[in-house]
Amino acid sequence: MAVALLLAAAGCTAGEQNASAPMTAEVAGTEHVCSSCHGLNGKSVNPTFPNLAGQQKDYLEAQLKAFRDHTRADPHAHTYMWGMAAQLSDSTIDGLAQFFSSQAPAEGSSENSVEVAAGKKIFDDGIAAKDVPPCMACHGEKAEGNITIPRLAGQHRSYLEGQLEAFAVNSRANEIMHQNSMNLSAQEISEVTAFLAAQ
Amino acid sequence: MNRKHIRSRSARFPAAARGRFLPLLFLIVAAVLLLAPPRAEALPSYARQTGQQCAACHNGFPELTPYGRLFKLNGYTFGGGQSDLPPIAAMVVAGYTHTEAGQSGGAAPHFGPNNNPDIETGSLFYGGAIASSLGLGAFAQVTYDNVHSDLHWDNTDLRWARATSVLGSETLFGVSLNNNPGVSDVWNSTPAWGYPYLLPELGPGVPVATVIEGHFAQQVAGLTAYTYWNRLIYAEIGGYRTLSPRTESALGIVPPGDAIKGIAPYWRLAVEPKWGRNTFEVGTFGLAASVIPGDVTGFGTDHATDVGFDVQYQFLAERDSISVQASYIMENQNLTASQGQGIATDTHNHLRSLHVKTSYYYDQTYGGTVGFFHIAGSGDPGLYGGLPSLNNSPNTTGWIGEVDYMPFNHGGPSFWPWLNVKLGVQYIYYDKFAGGVNNFDGAGRNAHDNNTLFFFAWMAF
Repeated sequence: MAVALLLAAAGCTAGEQNASAPMTAEVAGTEHVCSSCHGLNGKSVNPTFPNLAGQQKDYLEAQLKAFRDHTRADPHAHTYMWGMAAQLSDSTIDGLAQFFSSQAPAEGSSENSVEVAAGKKIFDDGIAAKDVPPCMACHGEKAEGNITIPRLAGQHRSYLEGQLEAFAVNSRANEIMHQNSMNLSAQEISEVTAFLAAQ
Repeated sequence: MNRKHIRSRSARFPAAARGRFLPLLFLIVAAVLLLAPPRAEALPSYARQTGQQCAACHNGFPELTPYGRLFKLNGYTFGGGQSDLPPIAAMVVAGYTHTEAGQSGGAAPHFGPNNNPDIETGSLFYGGAIASSLGLGAFAQVTYDNVHSDLHWDNTDLRWARATSVLGSETLFGVSLNNNPGVSDVWNSTPAWGYPYLLPELGPGVPVATVIEGHFAQQVAGLTAYTYWNRLIYAEIGGYRTLSPRTESALGIVPPGDAIKGIAPYWRLAVEPKWGRNTFEVGTFGLAASVIPGDVTGFGTDHATDVGFDVQYQFLAERDSISVQASYIMENQNLTASQGQGIATDTHNHLRSLHVKTSYYYDQTYGGTVGFFHIAGSGDPGLYGGLPSLNNSPNTTGWIGEVDYMPFNHGGPSFWPWLNVKLGVQYIYYDKFAGGVNNFDGAGRNAHDNNTLFFFAWMAF
């Protein structure tokens, strides 16, 4: 990949800061490009782009492969990630996933405490009347994620809102999340994402 | 495309005439095509190289998003796309120009005084990586000006970039070899890539501009070095010198234009804080040039010092985007040589140039822009009498409004997904022109007579 080769020569700072196994030159070069949007070390400034730092390795791998084969097709995937992932090799994907998953997660943001409390209730207990199960059942007690289930804690709130909306209308295809999100009201989405962003 | 295509040069430094295209230029383009690796802007070639939609790098092209700026600063080398087509792109601009009152003698040779449809320009680009592994990439443009029937090299920026770590923070180092002071810049608040991005070739245009607003475009070669620290602080310094008459001729520029004596230093400093979906930039830039007017020796040199300040704000969300750009350029002129040659009356003058604009885009598809420009300076019969200006004044003030439709910013039709099109209507309203509101030229023409309505289709493919 052209990017990787270029930035391999550049030698990437982020890789050098990573305490885990050293990145290959290709991975380091590619990570430099990722950081253009996802921020240095995977901590994104712009809520259009999710934080990757501390994300589950297997989830990252699965998503990059889904971008690569176009099975993840929400609008932003199309605009940015299809091109970004098109020429990533499995080994580069593995290296990127390893790098981002080993970074310290972004700290939670300050959110409205009333919404955070209401969101915690949804996260912990679900909404039985709407057949919405507790989020924590899959995403973990601290929303840290598990294997291919993503970490949600500390994620940008508007990114999470956008993904729940994408699941609801099936522009991001995931049957379980479609079922879980399709009955959520805008207020409920606002509450649960406030809670998650604040973690 | 930038506004140098249309903005007339200062009367003090008469524009170099464009020449007809020479075979050498074909050879250069052919060489680039043949030597380039078979890989690799809203240049469609950039979209092919990165595999991304135009909207990833452009907020209503050609304005750059934060990612677009990094793409350029990293030497146009980011990849990802699967196309094996060479990094070549083309652009065509067609328009229809109406002025409130016709322009006596014709809007241009072979054109009527008013209501002129035309194919304005056609350009060919090399846009993309040259050698990704070395950090080398290019933006290079050759333009056929259909209004003036000439073919010439246009904005060109060859660059090398490398990322490393300084004080624990990512730091980019790069070098740009280019032909227009400021063309290496990545914010759209500075002249080379500033608004208006397109102006009618057949409109009256603003009659005066500072030197850094394109006066030496394509007549010089410059080498600049830049660094971008922690994606916050940008610094660039370099120098420009005039090409030899022979080289200019070979590149489709007919000498003599005004020549820089020695090397003219160029500088740029900018700070760009970011928060959420917002980016803000504030900076300064400038050029200091000793100038031999018309390359006629024996009269000494003029000296122009331009110091500019600029700001840019962008809010880029999923559907809505807002951007604001502004620049203010202060030019001080020592015109000893021009006075000696009889083309300036005073030895010292000043010129000030203010440009402000704001844009809104919806879904990177529908957009509107409002801009304001104000050029003011000391009067000089020798410099400005021939504009013509009854008051011998450069002072020109006006507004620009524009509505755009970009149907393919998220991807073109299936048969050529890299096609991008901007269809627009632009209106330029002059409060004052060449120092006057009414009868500015002494022949009864009013500033409002120059108000210009421009319908255009801007296609890149």
